[in-house]
Amino acid sequence: MKKILQYSCLSLCLFTVGLALGAVAHAQTPAPAAAAPAAAAPAPTLAPADAQLKDAAGKAPATADLAKGDPGGTITGTINDVPAADTKAGVTLPDVANQVGQNKIAVNFVWTLVTGFLVMFMQAGFAMVESGLCRAKNANHTYMMNFFVYTCGLFSYWILGFAIQMGGTAGNSNLGGLQSLTGEHSLTLFGKAWGVFASAGMLLSGHTYDVGVMVIFLFEMVFMDTALTIVTGACAERWKFLAFTVSSIIMGAITYPLYGNWAWGGGWLSQLGTNTGLGKGYCDFAGSGVVHAVGGITALAVCMIIGPRIGKYNRDGSSNPILGHDVSAVLIGCFILAFGWFGFNPGSTLGASANGNLRIGTIAVDTMLAGCTGTLGAILYMWSLKGKPDYSMSGNGLLAGLVAITAPSGFVNTAGACIIGLVAGVLVCLSCAFFENTLKVDDPVGAISVHGTNGLWGVLSVGLFADGTSNYGGSWNGVTGNVTGLFYGDASQLVAQLVGISTLIGVVFSISLVINLAIEFFVGHRVSAETELAGLDIPEMGQLGYPEFVFRPEPVMSAA
Amino acid sequence: MAASKQQGSYLTLFWTAVTALCAGLAYFAEGFGKLVLVLGLVGVAISLVGFLKIKPMEGKTAGVAGNAVMKLMGLAVALGGWFVTIAGLHITTSVGGRLIFALVGIAVSLVGVIGVLPIAFGKSMAGKAEPSSFVAAKTTLEHSR
Repeated sequence: MKKILQYSCLSLCLFTVGLALGAVAHAQTPAPAAAAPAAAAPAPTLAPADAQLKDAAGKAPATADLAKGDPGGTITGTINDVPAADTKAGVTLPDVANQVGQNKIAVNFVWTLVTGFLVMFMQAGFAMVESGLCRAKNANHTYMMNFFVYTCGLFSYWILGFAIQMGGTAGNSNLGGLQSLTGEHSLTLFGKAWGVFASAGMLLSGHTYDVGVMVIFLFEMVFMDTALTIVTGACAERWKFLAFTVSSIIMGAITYPLYGNWAWGGGWLSQLGTNTGLGKGYCDFAGSGVVHAVGGITALAVCMIIGPRIGKYNRDGSSNPILGHDVSAVLIGCFILAFGWFGFNPGSTLGASANGNLRIGTIAVDTMLAGCTGTLGAILYMWSLKGKPDYSMSGNGLLAGLVAITAPSGFVNTAGACIIGLVAGVLVCLSCAFFENTLKVDDPVGAISVHGTNGLWGVLSVGLFADGTSNYGGSWNGVTGNVTGLFYGDASQLVAQLVGISTLIGVVFSISLVINLAIEFFVGHRVSAETELAGLDIPEMGQLGYPEFVFRPEPVMSAA
Repeated sequence: MAASKQQGSYLTLFWTAVTALCAGLAYFAEGFGKLVLVLGLVGVAISLVGFLKIKPMEGKTAGVAGNAVMKLMGLAVALGGWFVTIAGLHITTSVGGRLIFALVGIAVSLVGVIGVLPIAFGKSMAGKAEPSSFVAAKTTLEHSR
């Protein structure tokens, strides 16, 4: 019976992949050429534009008409709502053009801010998932880490992190130019200038007291905070609150912004296309690498330093499952995260009104599909191989699919998104088992696998599945053309992505490890064994997460 | 020890000093910027010494120290892999050649990160801890009512 189930699952997976590949092949078929336009009709003789505007003003509904109400919305929003520079002359063509420009920026501001608010709400999802997967005796501590990491991250990003990451990104026309951000510092090597870090915008002072800069700050800040909160899950149930605070401040100020600059702030990874001819440079649309892999890899570094929880491993090296206390928190948290991801990925266009930005619909659908196939991959894997559709791995499968599609979401079609998500769902199960059983790294929530492993997979998948149809203003990272992966004809894009992966594993991990070893020296990452056994709620936070519950330690294993 | 007033005080100093340090950097060109920067640095130094002073009060933890030399070796290998990748970009201009260099670099870094470092940090440290620290990790819940 089990074999039949396994074969059924396998068949379904193959069927899905087959469908997806079919769709890819279909997507590769060139679209039929557009019908030749009919012979251009002679342009009608137009009245001068200003005369037309005056005519429109004359026909616009009067105040008396508006006073009657507009249930159909047909007379609200007319030429009367366009401000005129000279009220005596009335609305002129330059007034209309200025209003159109401001409308474009306004739409983009609102879009970027609202999607940023969605990403901010993901903190609630992370808190629920992480706390639900921990034991009840540590619930308050885990929730508090997720709560306080927002403050630590936001503040450190304001005083320093934003300047390092985005202080040299002038020229973003979606948000009005951001012309005050011109502080990128470069290193000249082999005759080429490579951006290393930026410096404009510390404390958002001076010229960076600017409406556009505020929008990009908010959006980038909530992304940074997502990376920080990944570490709190992996190190839960034994991380000293003081060490967590110091570590989060430094990560928000230095580690995350550095890689963020290299990828998004005009730094050397984004220059791989212009300086070395590798595709369109390193491409990470919404942050599989910048946000999730940085968070997951830092979590791995801290987990190695902090060690496994007491009772996780036996003398023979075998591991014991330590169950979470709240299934509902975990699964509702996953849904909140999936909802927030609609801010994460589509919001990364940084606008809804500009060249190529109407692709936000495709990005949102790609995001949904990858989450769906990620869940499917994890559930089918666990069900067919372990016998039960495990809830924690199902939730992690959803998140893994979402993490993996984050980088490629702006560049792939729906079939590619399905494959990326499906692979991520299986990969997270394999990765969790590898870290737990082979490396003996204790990660209570699977954050290293969900965000680290699948963050890297997401970065890689851009170099494989980018279909060359996205066009955000005709170029990406300063290289003309569309981002195209190996399966669609550009192997050099894959190399650029591999350079990014190498940097994450080699450099970001090393920086994180050194910083956290210094914190280990000065502060000490781990709580005492006594505190750990009692649960961190009372010793670290002074109050139980569930004060009306009675905790009864139950010796379920011994060292013998 | 768990959380304490000393921890809170030194964290407050650390936070304030780091803010002052960054403000000093932001306004370095102006006279008071340099002064604030120096004050920030002094504050950070004092808070770090304070952290170090209260660290022993935490008591015995379940972690183990690991092997310092192997940690350095793991770090060196991890970074070395990245150098291989970067070197490949300048040694050859062919996409295939760069691809191979990048893959080799990643493999070398992985040897450092998941090969050397887990051993350096005491891979199966839990299995070597004192028996008393193996008391059950599981707890059961009972509603008091």
